[in-house]
Amino acid sequence: MERKKYPLFFSFPAIIVFLLFFITPTVIGIYYSFTDWNINADEIKFIGLDNYRELFNEPRLKKAFTNTLIFAAAVTVLQNVTGIALALILNEKLKLRNLLRMIFFMPYVIAPLVIGYIFRAIYHPEHGIVNRIFDSVGLDSMMQDWLNDPRFALFTIIVTDIWRVAGFSMVVYLAGLQFIPKDLTECASIDGASYWTRFKHVVFPLLAPAFTVNVLLAMIGSMKVFEIVMVLTEGGPGYTTEVFYTYIRNTFSSGEMGYATAINMLLFVLVTLVGVPVLMAMKKREVEM
Amino acid sequence: MKAKLSPVILEIVAVALALVILIPFFMIFVNSFKGIRESALFGLSLPTTWELDNYREVLSQDNILRGFKNSFLMSALVVLCVNLFASMAAFVIQRRGGKFLQGIYMAFIMGLIVPVSIVPTIRLMDMLHMKGSYLSIIMYYTAVLLPFSVFLLVGFMKSVPRELDEAAVLEGCGYFRLYFRIILPLVSTVLVTVSIVVIVSVWNDFFGPFYLVTDSTKWTIVLQVFNFVTLYSTNWGVVFAFMLVVIAPVLLIYLFLQRYIIDGLTAGSVKG
Repeated sequence: MERKKYPLFFSFPAIIVFLLFFITPTVIGIYYSFTDWNINADEIKFIGLDNYRELFNEPRLKKAFTNTLIFAAAVTVLQNVTGIALALILNEKLKLRNLLRMIFFMPYVIAPLVIGYIFRAIYHPEHGIVNRIFDSVGLDSMMQDWLNDPRFALFTIIVTDIWRVAGFSMVVYLAGLQFIPKDLTECASIDGASYWTRFKHVVFPLLAPAFTVNVLLAMIGSMKVFEIVMVLTEGGPGYTTEVFYTYIRNTFSSGEMGYATAINMLLFVLVTLVGVPVLMAMKKREVEM
Repeated sequence: MKAKLSPVILEIVAVALALVILIPFFMIFVNSFKGIRESALFGLSLPTTWELDNYREVLSQDNILRGFKNSFLMSALVVLCVNLFASMAAFVIQRRGGKFLQGIYMAFIMGLIVPVSIVPTIRLMDMLHMKGSYLSIIMYYTAVLLPFSVFLLVGFMKSVPRELDEAAVLEGCGYFRLYFRIILPLVSTVLVTVSIVVIVSVWNDFFGPFYLVTDSTKWTIVLQVFNFVTLYSTNWGVVFAFMLVVIAPVLLIYLFLQRYIIDGLTAGSVKG
């Protein structure tokens, strides 16, 4: 049937909503990032590059930038390591396999805000489970104020997010493992390859598609981290756990909308710079497949 | 890992790891039944007396019930908009193709990656005279969730044979009927997946309503959690009870529709 006969207007509702409520804010955001838009002022004045100039002199932006990158890198690596490990374990014939799979994925369907509050209780310096466990096994030196000590706060948030997302990666890897023919690993095994060699030379290369996707999603998702950080530390102590979205939230709360928009634009550029090349690589793979 | 790990050891390791996931849930569960002093200890012991007062207090609050109603209403309307708009668009994007629609498709895929510009969105809603309204938040969510849904549906549309369209059109079937009567039923499993992802996303989201909804009568349930903790952080028993009530619906959906949720949330990824 002729392609042109399909009615173009079927796509209009989606295009209009997407154009109006997704693309338009981004585009007008470029303009507003050049203004002094403030909740306490009636007028919005064009101030050129002032917001950006101020931002780049702001140590806080540097903190937000480096923390976001550290967080994203750490979460991406750890999420994939735990994800692969869990998938390999659950790919064996365990009795509780389905139940375990369900449990590991469970945190992913819970509101991150709620998870943040649960873990605030868990990391409580006196009563929290973490310190009580260390106390009960005699590791007093490990009892820390996990969220208020600048040495540990970011690390603690990273661990919490791994708790939340490891199951997601696990499921993607499990799906990838289904495509690996059993006789392939069996052959290698008969040839005397150890578990590690088999993993390195047979299993992992075949997991490459799942790996790419997991890395992309983890990187993009973790750069947009917000609720967990907001609830656990609010970017503190000091700015030691400040990330882009908590920074935006704080400037927004003080009414500096133009400034907040400028920070948002920087995040936009950052995510695009990281995300698009990876996406292109994925598209290329799609063609090959 | 060693060359040969016995399944029993693996099973024990896996169960131990599963406990790491379960203990936090268990912690809020037991503490939600404890009184004000006991719950502030965040312990794992069972309550000395199982009290239902915390739940009574949560369920007697009007703003909480209103939060549920709002979250429910918004999820339902967003499900409707996203399913309808995304499937119609995916249908012609896949079938008609062409430069324009390919460009649109690429724009949607970009939308999967880039962060929303939330502060200018407030300004936009203001200019459209819909700031803080239900409509504004529904449109916001629809726009944010369309990329994923279009992506998923275009992928699936490919497996619906074109011959069906031809046969239907030869029989004198119009495009609306072709879409509603033939295409939609064939992609219904994907629509279930899209719906579940939309419900979970909207229900759990804090970011959108935090910026866009100022009127507390229109707050979603997660926004109510945020507000509630600020007000009640002296009584953790009540806070935990509230949080359990908030996550219960999603957990229930998860328990019963596990496969759909897992497939849905990981769908874009597995297909690559």
